[in-house]
Amino acid sequence: MLWFERQVVATLVSPTLDDQQRTAVEKYVDDSLRAMPEHLRAGVAAESVLFGAWPRVQRIFGGLDRRALDARVERWKASRFDVVRQYVRLLHSLVLFAEYELTPGAAR
Amino acid sequence: MRKATLDADVVVIGSGAGGAVTAAKLSAAGRDVTVVEEGPWIDADAVEPFSLEEMAVKYRHRPAAALGAPSIAYAEGRCVGGSTEINSGLYHRLPGHLVESWREEYGIDEFDPDTLDAYARRIEEDLVVSRLPGAPPPSSALLERGATKLGWRSVEYSRVFRYDTAGRGVKQTMSRTLLPQAVDAGATVLPNCRVHRLLRRNGRVVGVRCRRTVDGVVEDLTIRADHVFVCGGAVQTPAILHRSGIRGRVGTGLKVHPMIKIAARFQHPVDHGGVPMHVVTEFGPNLSIGGSASRRGQVAMALAESSDNIEDALAEWERVSIYYAAIRAEGSGRVIGVPGLRAPIVTYRLTESDMSRLARGLVHLGELLLASGATELYPSVADGPVVRRHDELGAWWDSVTRSRASLMTVHLTSSVRMGEDRARTGADSFGRVWGCDNLRINDASLVPDAPGVNPQGTIMAIAARNSDHFLAES
Repeated sequence: MLWFERQVVATLVSPTLDDQQRTAVEKYVDDSLRAMPEHLRAGVAAESVLFGAWPRVQRIFGGLDRRALDARVERWKASRFDVVRQYVRLLHSLVLFAEYELTPGAAR
Repeated sequence: MRKATLDADVVVIGSGAGGAVTAAKLSAAGRDVTVVEEGPWIDADAVEPFSLEEMAVKYRHRPAAALGAPSIAYAEGRCVGGSTEINSGLYHRLPGHLVESWREEYGIDEFDPDTLDAYARRIEEDLVVSRLPGAPPPSSALLERGATKLGWRSVEYSRVFRYDTAGRGVKQTMSRTLLPQAVDAGATVLPNCRVHRLLRRNGRVVGVRCRRTVDGVVEDLTIRADHVFVCGGAVQTPAILHRSGIRGRVGTGLKVHPMIKIAARFQHPVDHGGVPMHVVTEFGPNLSIGGSASRRGQVAMALAESSDNIEDALAEWERVSIYYAAIRAEGSGRVIGVPGLRAPIVTYRLTESDMSRLARGLVHLGELLLASGATELYPSVADGPVVRRHDELGAWWDSVTRSRASLMTVHLTSSVRMGEDRARTGADSFGRVWGCDNLRINDASLVPDAPGVNPQGTIMAIAARNSDHFLAES
Protein backbone atom coordinates (compact mmCIF):
# COMPACT_ATOMS: atom_id res chain seq x y z
CA MET A 1 0.00 0.00 0.00
CA LEU A 2 1.11 3.54 -0.65
CA TRP A 3 1.41 6.10 2.16
CA PHE A 4 -1.97 7.69 1.67
CA GLU A 5 -3.71 4.34 1.24
CA ARG A 6 -2.29 3.27 4.61
CA GLN A 7 -3.60 6.47 6.19
CA VAL A 8 -7.09 6.03 4.73
CA VAL A 9 -7.24 2.36 5.70
CA ALA A 10 -6.11 3.22 9.23
CA THR A 11 -8.98 5.68 9.39
CA LEU A 12 -11.52 3.20 8.08
CA VAL A 13 -10.58 0.26 10.31
CA SER A 14 -12.84 -0.07 13.35
CA PRO A 15 -11.28 1.43 16.49
CA THR A 16 -12.50 -1.59 18.46
CA LEU A 17 -9.98 -3.91 16.77
CA ASP A 18 -6.81 -4.91 18.57
CA ASP A 19 -3.40 -4.53 16.95
CA GLN A 20 -3.32 -8.08 15.64
CA GLN A 21 -6.74 -7.78 14.03
CA ARG A 22 -5.87 -4.38 12.62
CA THR A 23 -2.71 -5.81 11.07
CA ALA A 24 -4.69 -8.70 9.55
CA VAL A 25 -7.20 -6.29 7.98
CA GLU A 26 -4.42 -4.06 6.63
CA LYS A 27 -2.65 -7.08 5.18
CA TYR A 28 -5.85 -8.21 3.46
CA VAL A 29 -6.31 -4.78 1.88
CA ASP A 30 -2.66 -4.72 0.81
CA ASP A 31 -2.91 -8.21 -0.73
CA SER A 32 -6.14 -7.28 -2.51
CA LEU A 33 -4.61 -4.15 -4.03
CA ARG A 34 -1.63 -6.22 -5.19
CA ALA A 35 -3.98 -8.78 -6.75
CA MET A 36 -5.79 -6.16 -8.84
CA PRO A 37 -5.18 -6.06 -12.60
CA GLU A 38 -2.19 -3.78 -13.23
CA HIS A 39 -4.14 -1.10 -15.07
CA LEU A 40 -6.72 -0.83 -12.28
CA ARG A 41 -4.00 -0.79 -9.62
CA ALA A 42 -2.18 1.94 -11.53
CA GLY A 43 -5.35 4.04 -11.54
CA VAL A 44 -5.86 3.62 -7.79
CA ALA A 45 -2.18 4.36 -7.15
CA ALA A 46 -2.42 7.54 -9.22
CA GLU A 47 -5.45 8.64 -7.20
CA SER A 48 -3.59 7.88 -3.99
CA VAL A 49 -0.67 10.05 -5.04
CA LEU A 50 -2.98 12.86 -6.15
CA PHE A 51 -5.34 12.82 -3.19
CA GLY A 52 -2.49 12.25 -0.76
CA ALA A 53 -0.27 15.11 -1.94
CA TRP A 54 -1.82 17.88 0.16
CA PRO A 55 -2.37 15.72 3.28
CA ARG A 56 1.29 14.71 3.04
CA VAL A 57 2.40 18.32 2.98
CA GLN A 58 0.09 19.07 5.90
CA ARG A 59 1.43 16.09 7.82
CA ILE A 60 5.04 17.21 7.29
CA PHE A 61 4.24 20.64 8.68
CA GLY A 62 2.16 19.28 11.52
CA GLY A 63 -1.18 20.48 10.19
CA LEU A 64 -2.90 17.12 9.84
CA ASP A 65 -3.67 15.01 12.86
CA ARG A 66 -5.62 11.76 12.94
CA ARG A 67 -8.92 13.48 13.75
CA ALA A 68 -8.62 15.85 10.81
CA LEU A 69 -7.89 12.96 8.46
CA ASP A 70 -10.83 10.96 9.86
CA ALA A 71 -13.12 13.90 9.16
CA ARG A 72 -11.77 14.33 5.65
CA VAL A 73 -12.25 10.64 4.77
CA GLU A 74 -15.77 10.80 6.23
CA ARG A 75 -16.57 13.76 3.96
CA TRP A 76 -15.07 12.00 0.95
CA LYS A 77 -17.40 9.02 1.41
CA ALA A 78 -20.25 11.26 0.33
CA SER A 79 -18.30 13.49 -2.06
CA ARG A 80 -20.16 14.81 -5.09
CA PHE A 81 -17.10 13.90 -7.15
CA ASP A 82 -17.47 10.29 -8.28
CA VAL A 83 -13.78 9.62 -8.43
CA VAL A 84 -13.25 10.74 -4.83
CA ARG A 85 -16.25 8.86 -3.49
CA GLN A 86 -15.35 5.69 -5.37
CA TYR A 87 -11.75 5.82 -4.15
CA VAL A 88 -12.85 5.79 -0.51
CA ARG A 89 -15.59 3.26 -1.17
CA LEU A 90 -13.15 0.80 -2.75
CA LEU A 91 -10.91 0.87 0.30
CA HIS A 92 -13.91 0.86 2.63
CA SER A 93 -15.35 -2.27 0.96
CA LEU A 94 -12.07 -4.13 1.37
CA VAL A 95 -11.76 -3.04 5.00
CA LEU A 96 -15.34 -3.99 5.82
CA PHE A 97 -15.11 -7.40 4.19
CA ALA A 98 -11.88 -8.21 6.00
CA GLU A 99 -13.12 -6.88 9.35
CA TYR A 100 -16.28 -8.90 9.29
CA GLU A 101 -14.68 -12.06 7.95
CA LEU A 102 -11.45 -12.02 9.92
CA THR A 103 -12.66 -10.75 13.24
CA PRO A 104 -15.79 -12.48 14.52
CA GLY A 105 -16.11 -10.13 17.50
CA ALA A 106 -15.65 -6.89 15.62
CA ALA A 107 -18.43 -4.35 15.76
CA ARG A 108 -18.33 -0.83 14.51
CA MET B 1 15.83 -20.12 -15.07
CA ARG B 2 15.21 -23.82 -15.54
CA LYS B 3 13.79 -24.78 -18.93
CA ALA B 4 11.76 -27.85 -19.80
CA THR B 5 9.96 -29.27 -22.82
CA LEU B 6 7.05 -31.68 -22.97
CA ASP B 7 5.15 -33.28 -25.82
CA ALA B 8 1.41 -33.87 -26.03
CA ASP B 9 -1.12 -34.79 -28.63
CA VAL B 10 -3.60 -32.24 -27.24
CA VAL B 11 -3.00 -29.32 -24.87
CA VAL B 12 -6.07 -27.95 -23.07
CA ILE B 13 -5.50 -24.50 -21.57
CA GLY B 14 -7.80 -23.99 -18.60
CA SER B 15 -9.57 -26.52 -16.40
CA GLY B 16 -13.01 -25.01 -15.80
CA ALA B 17 -16.36 -26.10 -17.23
CA GLY B 18 -15.11 -26.04 -20.84
CA GLY B 19 -11.59 -27.35 -20.27
CA ALA B 20 -12.61 -30.19 -17.96
CA VAL B 21 -15.26 -31.48 -20.39
CA THR B 22 -12.75 -31.31 -23.24
CA ALA B 23 -10.05 -33.12 -21.25
CA ALA B 24 -12.44 -35.83 -20.02
CA LYS B 25 -13.90 -36.48 -23.47
CA LEU B 26 -10.59 -36.54 -25.32
CA SER B 27 -8.70 -38.61 -22.78
CA ALA B 28 -11.58 -41.12 -22.60
CA ALA B 29 -11.19 -41.49 -26.37
CA GLY B 30 -7.54 -42.40 -25.90
CA ARG B 31 -5.94 -39.07 -26.80
CA ASP B 32 -2.80 -37.94 -25.01
CA VAL B 33 -4.06 -34.84 -23.16
CA THR B 34 -2.18 -32.29 -21.06
CA VAL B 35 -4.26 -29.75 -19.13
CA VAL B 36 -2.53 -26.50 -18.23
CA GLU B 37 -4.03 -24.48 -15.36
CA GLU B 38 -2.67 -21.15 -14.14
CA GLY B 39 -3.99 -21.54 -10.61
CA PRO B 40 -3.21 -24.05 -7.88
CA TRP B 41 -4.85 -27.40 -7.23
CA ILE B 42 -6.72 -26.79 -3.99
CA ASP B 43 -8.54 -29.57 -2.19
CA ALA B 44 -12.21 -28.78 -2.80
CA ASP B 45 -12.95 -29.19 0.92
CA ALA B 46 -10.01 -27.10 2.10
CA VAL B 47 -11.71 -23.71 2.25
CA GLU B 48 -15.21 -22.50 3.08
CA PRO B 49 -17.32 -21.41 0.11
CA PHE B 50 -17.45 -17.63 -0.43
CA SER B 51 -15.02 -17.01 2.44
CA LEU B 52 -12.15 -14.57 2.48
CA GLU B 53 -9.76 -17.52 2.33
CA GLU B 54 -11.49 -18.87 -0.76
CA MET B 55 -11.14 -15.48 -2.43
CA ALA B 56 -7.44 -15.47 -1.60
CA VAL B 57 -6.66 -18.87 -3.09
CA LYS B 58 -9.26 -19.55 -5.79
CA TYR B 59 -10.10 -16.17 -7.31
CA ARG B 60 -8.10 -14.46 -10.02
CA HIS B 61 -8.32 -10.90 -8.78
CA ARG B 62 -10.11 -9.99 -5.60
CA PRO B 63 -11.31 -6.66 -6.96
CA ALA B 64 -11.48 -6.61 -10.76
CA ALA B 65 -13.80 -4.52 -12.89
CA ALA B 66 -14.84 -4.06 -16.49
CA LEU B 67 -14.16 -0.40 -17.14
CA GLY B 68 -17.05 1.74 -18.24
CA ALA B 69 -19.77 3.94 -16.86
CA PRO B 70 -20.78 2.30 -14.66
CA SER B 71 -17.89 -0.10 -14.18
CA ILE B 72 -18.93 -3.69 -13.51
CA ALA B 73 -17.05 -5.75 -10.94
CA TYR B 74 -16.52 -9.33 -12.01
CA ALA B 75 -15.21 -12.55 -10.53
CA GLU B 76 -13.26 -15.39 -12.17
CA GLY B 77 -11.90 -18.60 -10.72
CA ARG B 78 -8.15 -19.18 -10.93
CA CYS B 79 -7.58 -22.71 -9.69
CA VAL B 80 -7.92 -26.27 -10.94
CA GLY B 81 -11.63 -26.52 -11.79
CA GLY B 82 -11.87 -22.82 -12.66
CA SER B 83 -15.07 -20.97 -11.87
CA THR B 84 -16.94 -24.22 -11.12
CA GLU B 85 -15.02 -24.19 -7.83
CA ILE B 86 -16.37 -20.80 -6.77
CA ASN B 87 -19.84 -20.53 -8.31
CA SER B 88 -23.17 -21.33 -6.69
CA GLY B 89 -23.62 -24.57 -8.63
CA LEU B 90 -27.01 -23.53 -10.01
CA TYR B 91 -27.67 -25.38 -13.26
CA HIS B 92 -29.85 -24.55 -16.23
CA ARG B 93 -30.03 -25.85 -19.79
CA LEU B 94 -29.74 -23.36 -22.62
CA PRO B 95 -33.30 -22.35 -23.58
CA GLY B 96 -34.28 -23.82 -26.97
CA HIS B 97 -35.47 -20.52 -28.45
CA LEU B 98 -31.99 -19.03 -27.92
CA VAL B 99 -30.36 -22.00 -29.64
CA GLU B 100 -32.55 -21.44 -32.67
CA SER B 101 -32.11 -17.69 -32.80
CA TRP B 102 -28.30 -17.94 -32.42
CA ARG B 103 -28.12 -20.60 -35.13
CA GLU B 104 -29.87 -18.22 -37.52
CA GLU B 105 -28.05 -15.07 -36.47
CA TYR B 106 -24.49 -16.44 -36.52
CA GLY B 107 -24.90 -19.29 -39.01
CA ILE B 108 -23.97 -22.06 -36.58
CA ASP B 109 -23.97 -25.52 -38.18
CA GLU B 110 -25.44 -28.57 -36.42
CA PHE B 111 -26.70 -26.41 -33.56
CA ASP B 112 -30.22 -27.31 -32.51
CA PRO B 113 -32.10 -27.79 -29.24
CA ASP B 114 -32.32 -31.58 -29.51
CA THR B 115 -28.59 -32.01 -30.03
CA LEU B 116 -27.68 -29.72 -27.14
CA ASP B 117 -30.32 -31.26 -24.88
CA ALA B 118 -28.86 -34.72 -25.55
CA TYR B 119 -25.43 -33.49 -24.44
CA ALA B 120 -26.97 -31.71 -21.47
CA ARG B 121 -28.73 -34.90 -20.36
CA ARG B 122 -25.46 -36.83 -20.32
CA ILE B 123 -23.75 -34.09 -18.34
CA GLU B 124 -26.63 -33.98 -15.87
CA GLU B 125 -26.31 -37.74 -15.34
CA ASP B 126 -22.53 -37.54 -14.96
CA LEU B 127 -22.61 -34.68 -12.47
CA VAL B 128 -25.81 -35.78 -10.70
CA VAL B 129 -27.63 -32.50 -11.31
CA SER B 130 -30.51 -32.53 -8.85
CA ARG B 131 -32.84 -30.55 -6.67
CA LEU B 132 -32.41 -30.08 -2.97
CA PRO B 133 -34.18 -32.92 -1.16
CA GLY B 134 -36.70 -31.53 1.35
CA ALA B 135 -37.61 -27.94 2.09
CA PRO B 136 -35.50 -25.09 0.74
CA PRO B 137 -33.48 -22.97 3.20
CA PRO B 138 -35.21 -19.81 4.51
CA SER B 139 -33.19 -17.49 2.24
CA SER B 140 -34.58 -19.35 -0.80
CA ALA B 141 -38.09 -19.91 0.57
CA LEU B 142 -38.37 -16.13 1.05
CA LEU B 143 -38.04 -15.63 -2.68
CA GLU B 144 -40.71 -18.21 -3.40
CA ARG B 145 -43.03 -16.75 -0.76
CA GLY B 146 -42.69 -13.21 -2.09
CA ALA B 147 -43.26 -14.36 -5.67
CA THR B 148 -46.35 -16.34 -4.69
CA LYS B 149 -47.83 -13.33 -2.87
CA LEU B 150 -47.31 -11.15 -5.92
CA GLY B 151 -48.53 -13.80 -8.36
CA TRP B 152 -45.10 -13.99 -10.06
CA ARG B 153 -43.53 -17.13 -11.50
CA SER B 154 -40.56 -18.58 -9.64
CA VAL B 155 -38.69 -21.85 -10.05
CA GLU B 156 -36.37 -23.85 -7.90
CA TYR B 157 -33.20 -24.37 -9.94
CA SER B 158 -31.43 -27.68 -9.99
CA ARG B 159 -27.86 -27.64 -8.79
CA VAL B 160 -24.68 -29.49 -9.61
CA PHE B 161 -24.85 -31.06 -6.15
CA ARG B 162 -24.76 -34.68 -5.01
CA TYR B 163 -26.83 -35.25 -1.87
CA ASP B 164 -26.35 -37.98 0.70
CA THR B 165 -29.21 -39.74 2.50
CA ALA B 166 -29.17 -37.07 5.22
CA GLY B 167 -29.69 -34.37 2.58
CA ARG B 168 -26.17 -32.98 2.84
CA GLY B 169 -25.02 -31.71 -0.54
CA VAL B 170 -21.56 -31.64 -2.08
CA LYS B 171 -21.02 -29.42 -5.11
CA GLN B 172 -19.79 -31.45 -8.05
CA THR B 173 -17.02 -29.15 -9.18
CA MET B 174 -14.67 -30.07 -12.00
CA SER B 175 -11.86 -30.88 -9.54
CA ARG B 176 -14.17 -33.45 -7.94
CA THR B 177 -15.63 -34.95 -11.12
CA LEU B 178 -14.42 -34.63 -14.70
CA LEU B 179 -10.79 -33.78 -14.00
CA PRO B 180 -10.19 -36.93 -11.91
CA GLN B 181 -11.98 -38.86 -14.69
CA ALA B 182 -9.59 -37.35 -17.21
CA VAL B 183 -6.57 -38.17 -15.06
CA ASP B 184 -7.79 -41.76 -14.62
CA ALA B 185 -8.02 -41.98 -18.42
CA GLY B 186 -4.40 -40.86 -18.75
CA ALA B 187 -4.58 -37.04 -18.87
CA THR B 188 -1.93 -34.94 -17.13
CA VAL B 189 -2.95 -31.81 -15.22
CA LEU B 190 -0.28 -29.14 -14.70
CA PRO B 191 -1.39 -26.63 -12.03
CA ASN B 192 0.46 -23.34 -11.34
CA CYS B 193 1.30 -23.11 -15.02
CA ARG B 194 0.58 -19.82 -16.81
CA VAL B 195 0.47 -19.73 -20.59
CA HIS B 196 2.37 -16.79 -22.03
CA ARG B 197 1.56 -17.43 -25.64
CA LEU B 198 0.84 -19.96 -28.31
CA LEU B 199 3.68 -20.97 -30.63
CA ARG B 200 2.70 -20.77 -34.31
CA ARG B 201 4.31 -21.82 -37.55
CA ASN B 202 2.87 -21.73 -41.07
CA GLY B 203 -0.67 -21.04 -39.95
CA ARG B 204 -0.68 -23.79 -37.36
CA VAL B 205 -0.15 -23.85 -33.63
CA VAL B 206 2.80 -26.03 -32.73
CA GLY B 207 2.75 -25.65 -28.98
CA VAL B 208 2.43 -23.34 -26.00
CA ARG B 209 5.01 -21.45 -23.97
CA CYS B 210 4.29 -21.37 -20.25
CA ARG B 211 5.87 -20.55 -16.94
CA ARG B 212 5.14 -22.95 -14.13
CA THR B 213 6.07 -23.24 -10.50
CA VAL B 214 6.88 -26.65 -9.07
CA ASP B 215 7.80 -26.89 -5.38
CA GLY B 216 8.73 -23.22 -5.38
CA VAL B 217 10.99 -23.51 -8.41
CA VAL B 218 9.97 -21.50 -11.46
CA GLU B 219 10.63 -22.95 -14.89
CA ASP B 220 9.97 -21.97 -18.49
CA LEU B 221 8.02 -24.79 -20.03
CA THR B 222 7.39 -25.41 -23.70
CA ILE B 223 4.73 -27.95 -24.59
CA ARG B 224 4.83 -29.13 -28.19
CA ALA B 225 1.38 -30.20 -29.32
CA ASP B 226 -0.55 -31.31 -32.39
CA HIS B 227 -3.76 -29.63 -31.22
CA VAL B 228 -4.51 -26.86 -28.75
CA PHE B 229 -7.84 -26.07 -27.06
CA VAL B 230 -8.01 -22.72 -25.31
CA CYS B 231 -10.55 -22.89 -22.48
CA GLY B 232 -9.55 -20.02 -20.21
CA GLY B 233 -12.98 -18.37 -20.05
CA ALA B 234 -14.40 -15.30 -21.76
CA VAL B 235 -11.70 -12.96 -20.42
CA GLN B 236 -8.53 -15.06 -20.43
CA THR B 237 -9.11 -16.88 -23.74
CA PRO B 238 -9.10 -13.76 -25.94
CA ALA B 239 -6.22 -12.38 -23.89
CA ILE B 240 -4.10 -15.48 -24.66
CA LEU B 241 -5.00 -15.22 -28.34
CA HIS B 242 -4.10 -11.53 -28.43
CA ARG B 243 -0.77 -12.20 -26.72
CA SER B 244 -0.13 -14.76 -29.46
CA GLY B 245 -0.85 -12.28 -32.24
CA ILE B 246 -4.30 -13.66 -33.11
CA ARG B 247 -6.87 -10.90 -33.39
CA GLY B 248 -9.71 -10.69 -35.94
CA ARG B 249 -13.07 -10.98 -34.16
CA VAL B 250 -11.36 -12.02 -30.95
CA GLY B 251 -12.17 -10.16 -27.73
CA THR B 252 -15.08 -8.17 -29.13
CA GLY B 253 -18.73 -8.61 -28.20
CA LEU B 254 -18.15 -9.63 -24.58
CA LYS B 255 -21.47 -10.19 -22.84
CA VAL B 256 -22.30 -10.27 -19.13
CA HIS B 257 -25.34 -10.42 -16.88
CA PRO B 258 -25.01 -7.17 -14.90
CA MET B 259 -26.49 -7.50 -11.42
CA ILE B 260 -27.79 -4.88 -9.05
CA LYS B 261 -28.29 -5.95 -5.45
CA ILE B 262 -30.25 -5.31 -2.30
CA ALA B 263 -29.27 -6.22 1.24
CA ALA B 264 -32.62 -7.06 2.85
CA ARG B 265 -33.19 -7.04 6.60
CA PHE B 266 -35.81 -9.38 8.05
CA GLN B 267 -37.38 -9.82 11.47
CA HIS B 268 -35.92 -13.28 11.81
CA PRO B 269 -32.50 -14.85 11.15
CA VAL B 270 -31.77 -16.05 7.62
CA ASP B 271 -29.32 -18.83 6.66
CA HIS B 272 -25.95 -17.66 5.30
CA GLY B 273 -24.18 -20.87 4.31
CA GLY B 274 -25.09 -21.07 0.64
CA VAL B 275 -26.90 -19.38 -2.20
CA PRO B 276 -30.71 -19.51 -2.63
CA MET B 277 -31.82 -21.87 -5.38
CA HIS B 278 -35.11 -20.14 -6.21
CA VAL B 279 -35.14 -17.72 -9.12
CA VAL B 280 -38.01 -15.44 -10.07
CA THR B 281 -38.58 -15.88 -13.81
CA GLU B 282 -41.64 -13.64 -14.15
CA PHE B 283 -39.70 -11.04 -16.15
CA GLY B 284 -37.49 -13.46 -18.07
CA PRO B 285 -35.54 -13.91 -20.19
CA ASN B 286 -34.21 -10.36 -19.93
CA LEU B 287 -34.56 -9.90 -16.18
CA SER B 288 -34.21 -12.48 -13.43
CA ILE B 289 -34.23 -12.21 -9.65
CA GLY B 290 -32.39 -14.46 -7.23
CA GLY B 291 -30.17 -14.64 -4.16
CA SER B 292 -26.46 -14.14 -3.57
CA ALA B 293 -23.82 -15.33 -1.15
CA SER B 294 -24.49 -13.55 2.15
CA ARG B 295 -21.68 -14.24 4.57
CA ARG B 296 -21.01 -11.66 7.24
CA GLY B 297 -18.34 -9.82 5.23
CA GLN B 298 -20.53 -9.68 2.14
CA VAL B 299 -23.46 -8.38 4.17
CA ALA B 300 -21.24 -5.62 5.60
CA MET B 301 -20.07 -4.60 2.14
CA ALA B 302 -23.58 -4.68 0.68
CA LEU B 303 -25.05 -2.57 3.48
CA ALA B 304 -22.30 0.00 3.08
CA GLU B 305 -23.07 0.44 -0.62
CA SER B 306 -26.07 2.64 0.06
CA SER B 307 -25.48 4.21 3.42
CA ASP B 308 -22.95 4.65 6.17
CA ASN B 309 -25.60 4.53 8.83
CA ILE B 310 -25.56 0.77 9.02
CA GLU B 311 -24.61 0.02 12.62
CA ASP B 312 -28.07 -1.27 13.56
CA ALA B 313 -28.35 -3.54 10.56
CA LEU B 314 -24.80 -4.78 10.98
CA ALA B 315 -25.39 -5.64 14.62
CA GLU B 316 -28.18 -7.92 13.38
CA TRP B 317 -26.36 -9.19 10.31
CA GLU B 318 -27.82 -12.69 10.82
CA ARG B 319 -31.17 -11.18 9.77
CA VAL B 320 -29.78 -9.68 6.59
CA SER B 321 -29.51 -11.49 3.27
CA ILE B 322 -28.45 -10.29 -0.19
CA TYR B 323 -30.55 -10.65 -3.33
CA TYR B 324 -30.01 -9.56 -6.92
CA ALA B 325 -31.76 -8.53 -10.12
CA ALA B 326 -29.75 -9.55 -13.21
CA ILE B 327 -30.38 -8.45 -16.77
CA ARG B 328 -29.44 -9.60 -20.25
CA ALA B 329 -27.69 -6.46 -21.38
CA GLU B 330 -27.99 -4.98 -24.86
CA GLY B 331 -24.58 -3.40 -24.42
CA SER B 332 -21.36 -5.31 -24.88
CA GLY B 333 -17.69 -5.12 -24.02
CA ARG B 334 -14.16 -5.84 -25.16
CA VAL B 335 -11.23 -7.80 -23.86
CA ILE B 336 -7.84 -6.45 -24.90
CA GLY B 337 -4.69 -8.41 -24.18
CA VAL B 338 -1.81 -5.96 -23.86
CA PRO B 339 1.78 -7.15 -24.24
CA GLY B 340 3.60 -6.67 -20.96
CA LEU B 341 0.46 -6.62 -18.81
CA ARG B 342 -0.50 -9.81 -16.99
CA ALA B 343 -4.18 -8.88 -16.91
CA PRO B 344 -6.12 -7.91 -20.01
CA ILE B 345 -8.05 -4.65 -20.12
CA VAL B 346 -11.78 -5.34 -19.99
CA THR B 347 -14.30 -2.68 -20.94
CA TYR B 348 -18.10 -2.73 -21.00
CA ARG B 349 -20.73 -0.30 -22.20
CA LEU B 350 -24.31 -0.43 -20.95
CA THR B 351 -27.02 1.23 -23.03
CA GLU B 352 -29.68 3.60 -21.67
CA SER B 353 -32.13 0.74 -22.05
CA ASP B 354 -29.87 -1.46 -19.90
CA MET B 355 -29.77 1.20 -17.18
CA SER B 356 -33.54 1.46 -17.30
CA ARG B 357 -33.89 -2.31 -17.10
CA LEU B 358 -31.57 -2.37 -14.07
CA ALA B 359 -33.70 0.28 -12.35
CA ARG B 360 -36.81 -1.74 -13.11
CA GLY B 361 -35.08 -4.83 -11.77
CA LEU B 362 -34.17 -3.04 -8.55
CA VAL B 363 -37.75 -1.87 -8.00
CA HIS B 364 -39.20 -5.33 -8.75
CA LEU B 365 -36.67 -6.91 -6.42
CA GLY B 366 -37.67 -4.41 -3.74
CA GLU B 367 -41.36 -5.25 -4.22
CA LEU B 368 -40.59 -8.94 -3.92
CA LEU B 369 -38.53 -8.58 -0.76
CA LEU B 370 -41.12 -6.40 0.97
CA ALA B 371 -43.76 -8.97 0.03
CA SER B 372 -41.57 -11.69 1.53
CA GLY B 373 -41.40 -9.87 4.85
CA ALA B 374 -38.28 -7.70 4.63
CA THR B 375 -38.37 -4.64 6.89
CA GLU B 376 -35.48 -2.64 5.41
CA LEU B 377 -33.90 -2.66 1.96
CA TYR B 378 -30.38 -1.32 1.27
CA PRO B 379 -29.79 -1.01 -2.51
CA SER B 380 -26.33 -1.26 -4.11
CA VAL B 381 -26.58 2.36 -5.14
CA ALA B 382 -24.32 5.04 -3.67
CA ASP B 383 -26.47 7.07 -1.28
CA GLY B 384 -29.51 5.16 -2.51
CA PRO B 385 -32.35 5.65 -0.06
CA VAL B 386 -33.06 2.83 2.37
CA VAL B 387 -36.60 1.63 1.74
CA ARG B 388 -39.02 0.36 4.38
CA ARG B 389 -42.39 0.63 2.64
CA HIS B 390 -43.77 -0.10 -0.80
CA ASP B 391 -44.57 3.54 -1.53
CA GLU B 392 -40.90 4.48 -1.04
CA LEU B 393 -39.69 2.24 -3.89
CA GLY B 394 -40.36 4.91 -6.49
CA ALA B 395 -37.36 6.89 -5.23
CA TRP B 396 -35.09 4.21 -6.71
CA TRP B 397 -36.14 4.90 -10.30
CA ASP B 398 -34.01 8.02 -10.44
CA SER B 399 -31.20 6.77 -8.21
CA VAL B 400 -29.90 4.06 -10.59
CA THR B 401 -27.50 6.24 -12.56
CA ARG B 402 -24.18 5.48 -14.20
CA SER B 403 -22.26 7.23 -11.44
CA ARG B 404 -24.16 5.77 -8.49
CA ALA B 405 -25.11 2.20 -9.38
CA SER B 406 -22.75 -0.46 -8.07
CA LEU B 407 -22.92 -3.46 -10.40
CA MET B 408 -21.24 -6.81 -10.55
CA THR B 409 -21.35 -9.99 -12.59
CA VAL B 410 -20.22 -13.58 -12.38
CA HIS B 411 -21.34 -14.60 -15.89
CA LEU B 412 -19.04 -13.57 -18.75
CA THR B 413 -19.50 -14.94 -22.27
CA SER B 414 -19.28 -14.30 -26.03
CA SER B 415 -15.80 -12.80 -26.48
CA VAL B 416 -14.94 -15.17 -29.39
CA ARG B 417 -18.32 -16.09 -30.87
CA MET B 418 -18.79 -19.25 -32.91
CA GLY B 419 -20.54 -19.58 -36.28
CA GLU B 420 -19.96 -19.54 -39.98
CA ASP B 421 -20.51 -15.79 -40.39
CA ARG B 422 -16.87 -14.74 -40.46
CA ALA B 423 -17.73 -11.06 -40.18
CA ARG B 424 -19.25 -11.63 -36.73
CA THR B 425 -17.44 -14.64 -35.30
CA GLY B 426 -13.92 -15.51 -34.18
CA ALA B 427 -14.28 -19.27 -34.59
CA ASP B 428 -16.27 -21.69 -36.72
CA SER B 429 -19.36 -23.62 -35.65
CA PHE B 430 -17.24 -26.02 -33.60
CA GLY B 431 -14.79 -23.59 -32.01
CA ARG B 432 -11.95 -23.78 -34.57
CA VAL B 433 -10.27 -20.37 -34.70
CA TRP B 434 -10.50 -18.84 -38.16
CA GLY B 435 -7.19 -19.12 -39.96
CA CYS B 436 -5.66 -21.66 -37.58
CA ASP B 437 -6.86 -25.20 -38.26
CA ASN B 438 -5.54 -26.95 -35.16
CA LEU B 439 -6.43 -24.23 -32.64
CA ARG B 440 -9.81 -24.49 -30.98
CA ILE B 441 -11.70 -22.62 -28.31
CA ASN B 442 -14.07 -24.54 -26.08
CA ASP B 443 -15.44 -22.36 -23.31
CA ALA B 444 -17.82 -19.50 -22.48
CA SER B 445 -16.16 -17.32 -25.13
CA LEU B 446 -17.98 -19.25 -27.88
CA VAL B 447 -21.50 -18.72 -26.47
CA PRO B 448 -22.89 -16.17 -28.96
CA ASP B 449 -24.79 -14.05 -26.44
CA ALA B 450 -25.61 -13.87 -22.75
CA PRO B 451 -27.97 -16.79 -22.12
CA GLY B 452 -30.01 -15.10 -19.37
CA VAL B 453 -29.48 -18.15 -17.15
CA ASN B 454 -26.48 -19.61 -15.31
CA PRO B 455 -24.17 -20.50 -18.20
CA GLN B 456 -22.34 -23.55 -16.80
CA GLY B 457 -24.77 -26.05 -18.38
CA THR B 458 -24.56 -24.23 -21.73
CA ILE B 459 -20.76 -24.13 -21.69
CA MET B 460 -20.50 -27.83 -20.84
CA ALA B 461 -23.01 -28.95 -23.48
CA ILE B 462 -21.29 -26.93 -26.22
CA ALA B 463 -17.85 -28.13 -25.09
CA ALA B 464 -19.00 -31.78 -25.21
CA ARG B 465 -20.50 -31.28 -28.68
CA ASN B 466 -17.33 -29.64 -30.00
CA SER B 467 -15.12 -32.32 -28.46
CA ASP B 468 -17.10 -35.03 -30.23
CA HIS B 469 -16.79 -33.12 -33.49
CA PHE B 470 -13.02 -32.90 -33.01
CA LEU B 471 -12.77 -36.64 -32.29
CA ALA B 472 -14.85 -37.50 -35.33
CA GLU B 473 -12.71 -35.28 -37.52
CA SER B 474 -9.16 -36.07 -36.39
